[in-house]
Amino acid sequence: MRALRLAVRLPSARVALAVLGVVVVLMAVGEWLAPYDPLHQDTTAILAGPSAEHWLGTDYVGRDVLSRLLAGSRLSVIAAAEAVGLGLLLGVLPGLASVYLGRVFEWLSLRVMDGLMALPFIIFAIAVAALLGNGLHQAMFAVGVLLAPTFYRVTRAAAGGLRQAQYVEAATLFGATRWRIVRTHVWQKVLPTVVVTTATAMAGALLVVSSLTFLGIGVQPPAPTWGGMLASDLGYLSQRPFGPLAPALLIIVTVAALNALADAITVDPATSTKEAHDAVRR
Amino acid sequence: MTAALEADGVEVWLGRRATSRILDGVGLTAPAGQIVGLIGETGSGKTTLARAIAGLAPLHAGAVRVDGVPVSGLRGAELRRFRRTGRVQYVFQDPLRSLDPDLTVAESVAEGLAVRGDGRAADRRTAAVAALRLVGLDPALGDRLPGQISGGQRQRVTLARALAVGPRVLLLDEPVSALDAANRNHVLRVLDRLRRERELAIVLITHDLGSLAGVADRIVVLHHGRVVEEGPATQVLLAPEHPYTQRLIASVPSIDGPRPIYARSTT
Repeated sequence: MRALRLAVRLPSARVALAVLGVVVVLMAVGEWLAPYDPLHQDTTAILAGPSAEHWLGTDYVGRDVLSRLLAGSRLSVIAAAEAVGLGLLLGVLPGLASVYLGRVFEWLSLRVMDGLMALPFIIFAIAVAALLGNGLHQAMFAVGVLLAPTFYRVTRAAAGGLRQAQYVEAATLFGATRWRIVRTHVWQKVLPTVVVTTATAMAGALLVVSSLTFLGIGVQPPAPTWGGMLASDLGYLSQRPFGPLAPALLIIVTVAALNALADAITVDPATSTKEAHDAVRR
Repeated sequence: MTAALEADGVEVWLGRRATSRILDGVGLTAPAGQIVGLIGETGSGKTTLARAIAGLAPLHAGAVRVDGVPVSGLRGAELRRFRRTGRVQYVFQDPLRSLDPDLTVAESVAEGLAVRGDGRAADRRTAAVAALRLVGLDPALGDRLPGQISGGQRQRVTLARALAVGPRVLLLDEPVSALDAANRNHVLRVLDRLRRERELAIVLITHDLGSLAGVADRIVVLHHGRVVEEGPATQVLLAPEHPYTQRLIASVPSIDGPRPIYARSTT
């Protein structure tokens, strides 16, 4: 936790948090801020450039780009958060358990994660869509399941290094249960690593939502998402060259903010000191 | 009279083959109120023996009894229940690594009490303060993190943490090796007082023979995982019988050349 608190002192982390705060606000109220119905088609203004009426122009069927971006924030971020949340749940808990629940669980969970890591992403997503139906939740389920090994590995690595820590042995000698040891001594050390992985996974998931939408898996048109808008705008580059700029910028800025936040807290918790953060700052 | 700590025929193997044997039938007895010095060169098995006694290293053979009660066969909930009595405590060699960097000194010292659910947080804090005082530390240090106090203070904090749960047997792994002379003498005086006041059985592991002089009642010499000599401290230090012990004592550096360590005892 100290690493997290110290990270917030860094200017880069503050900027990142501010950006992410704006994204959260957009997510919450973007739909109501939209000046037009994001699905309304104005056939008299197809592929129009920025104007006083349409600040970011219109798309290939005359829909207001700004309205679609604002309205699409929630779906884009929620989709990414859903996938990362599932990955966290399926990765962090088994990762901790693999260190403290004995060899049988360790072996089994390792083989399951190895199996998941061997699955080709796109084929798995298509298979899930074919099995469970093509929709946002199904696609995010596929992404979440495939994110789990990443969380599992980092959690296991961070917790495994603490298994033989002398303060853990001291707690063992006091008769502490494994749960208490994890709660008191391990979780705080593992948390910064998990937070960093979450931030980078969120960034990755945002891009994955975009690529899946590009392939027609997940969010279905005409529902707006940042990735979906980027994909559709790319098809009209010759008529509206600046079209993909706005959704691309939103994705890039959000991903960059998440990565900056992750960077700010990438300090070994065992040595997380103000000096270490000063070194990062330099 | 039953000794507070008895270890018989302790064998510890690193692997499955006999060649991986680290301790070979080691015995150790520590009566209440006595300090037993455990000496030997690096790699002789001192730390492994202490860890085996504490239950941190698995025994291949042998038995450990505390107050006559066999404890080496305890497993699972039974072992946890015994550990919560706090009767056997271990003070690690490296105080920085043995204190959680995220817990304050007071939280670390009170951890054993919290584990066994003694009193409320405020009571445990009071107990932690008392334990810090016992080892001569300012209770105000309780709010600091381990990284914010000196090495000598950290060593005393680990001692306070072990003492807070009221142990019968205290295993100390090189507790003064990283300390300067003043801190070393202070810790040794605290140990000397505790064994008298609390009837503690103390096993003091060290390669610094000077720290045993005047403090240890008995000395056990370990060499290649076997006890090669054992006896009253004065006898082992002044008139060692085994050639290894003689070499060990003769190798203690001195300005005037090698001489019995006991002759230049500390204060």
